[in-house]
Amino acid sequence: MTALDDTRPELSKNPQRNAATTRVWPASVGLMRRSLVNIVRLPSAFIPSIMMPIFQAIAFSGTFFAIIQIPGFPTDRSINWFLPLGVVMGSGFAGIGIGFATIRDLEGGFYDRLRLTPAPRTSLVTGPLFAALVRSAIVTSIVFVVGSLFGARLTHGPLGLVPLFIAGLGIAAIGTGWGLGLAYRFRDMRAAAIMQLTFFLLIFLTEAQTPLFIMEGWLEGVTRINPFNNVIRLSRLGFLDAPMTWDNTWGGLLALFVFAGGTLLFARRGLAKLSDV
Amino acid sequence: MSTANLPIVAEGLQRYVGSGDDQVKAVDGVDLRIEQGEVFGFLGPNGAGKSTTVRMLTTLLRPTGGSARVAGFDVVDEANEVRRNIGVALQDAAIDPLMTGAELLKLQAVLYGLPKAQHSTKAGELLERVGLTAAGDRRVGTYSGGMRRRLDLALSLIHEPSVLFLDEPTTGLDPMSRISLWEEIRRLNNDGTTVLLTTQYLEEADQLAERIAIIDNGVIVRKGRPAELKAEVGSPTLFVSVDASVTDGAKVLLEGFGDLRPSAEGTLGVGLDDGPAAVSNVVRTLDEAGIAVKNLELREPSLDDVFAEATGYRLEGADT
Repeated sequence: MTALDDTRPELSKNPQRNAATTRVWPASVGLMRRSLVNIVRLPSAFIPSIMMPIFQAIAFSGTFFAIIQIPGFPTDRSINWFLPLGVVMGSGFAGIGIGFATIRDLEGGFYDRLRLTPAPRTSLVTGPLFAALVRSAIVTSIVFVVGSLFGARLTHGPLGLVPLFIAGLGIAAIGTGWGLGLAYRFRDMRAAAIMQLTFFLLIFLTEAQTPLFIMEGWLEGVTRINPFNNVIRLSRLGFLDAPMTWDNTWGGLLALFVFAGGTLLFARRGLAKLSDV
Repeated sequence: MSTANLPIVAEGLQRYVGSGDDQVKAVDGVDLRIEQGEVFGFLGPNGAGKSTTVRMLTTLLRPTGGSARVAGFDVVDEANEVRRNIGVALQDAAIDPLMTGAELLKLQAVLYGLPKAQHSTKAGELLERVGLTAAGDRRVGTYSGGMRRRLDLALSLIHEPSVLFLDEPTTGLDPMSRISLWEEIRRLNNDGTTVLLTTQYLEEADQLAERIAIIDNGVIVRKGRPAELKAEVGSPTLFVSVDASVTDGAKVLLEGFGDLRPSAEGTLGVGLDDGPAAVSNVVRTLDEAGIAVKNLELREPSLDDVFAEATGYRLEGADT
């Protein structure tokens, strides 16, 4: 860039005509509210995101009810095993859904309007992130209530909800970072397929359906090294007979922390690169 | 000349797309100096580089080369300061169809950091200003094209910007909506707002802009006040329609009255060196050569002539 005169013109010094400095928090809340309002106004996107995890928890626990007869299976209720999986899946889609919505905004041009505002760039990521967290909390609550009606029980009391919610919120954050990052890079629906495929693969290559000790071959090997297996374990802590110890907890927390941080950074860098294309 | 007090300055602005043999020079060395309080028209056909230039000046796109300052701030290094001082209505009224007009204005107020107490007041004022008060609580998806344009303009004004970019604001609008938007642009300009307006409509540039730049293939080919540019073209243009079988013969004869100028298919255009008085001679000459004239039209120099002289083709009637 060549240098132009560095003096500020009078017009930019007139506070009456200029916007104030926009802070991250109010901008994020504004964008979160917009996302949530739009979710409600687009039932075709919202209803499946609620129904899918409920259906998954109930259908899997019914279809695979005999899983509890496996010697050493850590719970006597199949719904206790599959309810947390439904929460993780639902929360992941709450995050990825933000990616879909962002693709719609990018394709429709509305995202340009957001980028034209002086709102801190971070808020363009944190706003949708907050919306995904709220969605995740709603999904987790609904799935838990419906699952309880179908016989799910917290084996360690209400404290068992904490790891369930942490896992859900963490997965939603990862889904948001991944979804936004891909949306910014592809800027069209090609990103949607990658978002879903990678997410499904990572979740199902875990103890999502069967415990590790009965797995064999490559699936066992992959599950052992898949960090998301720790997240699935974390989500189930409050529903299994095994004690809720730090040893059973930290692996999931670490995976959530590392992946959420990494994917949100991936999103932030993708946003910065939008100006190059 | 100092550029310190100019709201929009660009020097050698470039935007290249692709690389190697496939590289396209979307904008290739654009220089602009727009005065405070001016309405500046950026004229050119689709794909000429107007929108790309606007996207660079409004921080949406990083320039490949050159530099630009808007409202006194560098568009790359001080992008957020630029954003605080400009309003932008982009080519396609890019508005979330699920939200209401009032909701969008309030969100815009949040993102521009306006105090919360002002959000509703400001939204109401702007809806009234653009004649959308009654539709303010309706979802934008139910708005007509003209209503969306007006809302788009309102959104760009929420923070009372000192510099306003309007990228083809009236494309696709009916004549009444277009005139209504022109009046609003004039009103904003009277309030001291500098306006950069891109358009592919010659009449729009003629009506609104104090100065214009014509861009073609990423390069500014003419720049100045419309009246001065028209005067540079000089002579009026006579458009003559003749039968296709005698076009070549007619061309030779017309060249005797001045330079041939670009014209629509099936029509020949000639700049009359001797002015309107030469029309009768043209008709007589063609008649004596046995060439029947199907239609005649004499036009004083227009921005279309300026455009045609600069680019070799006409904007009016072009595929826009």
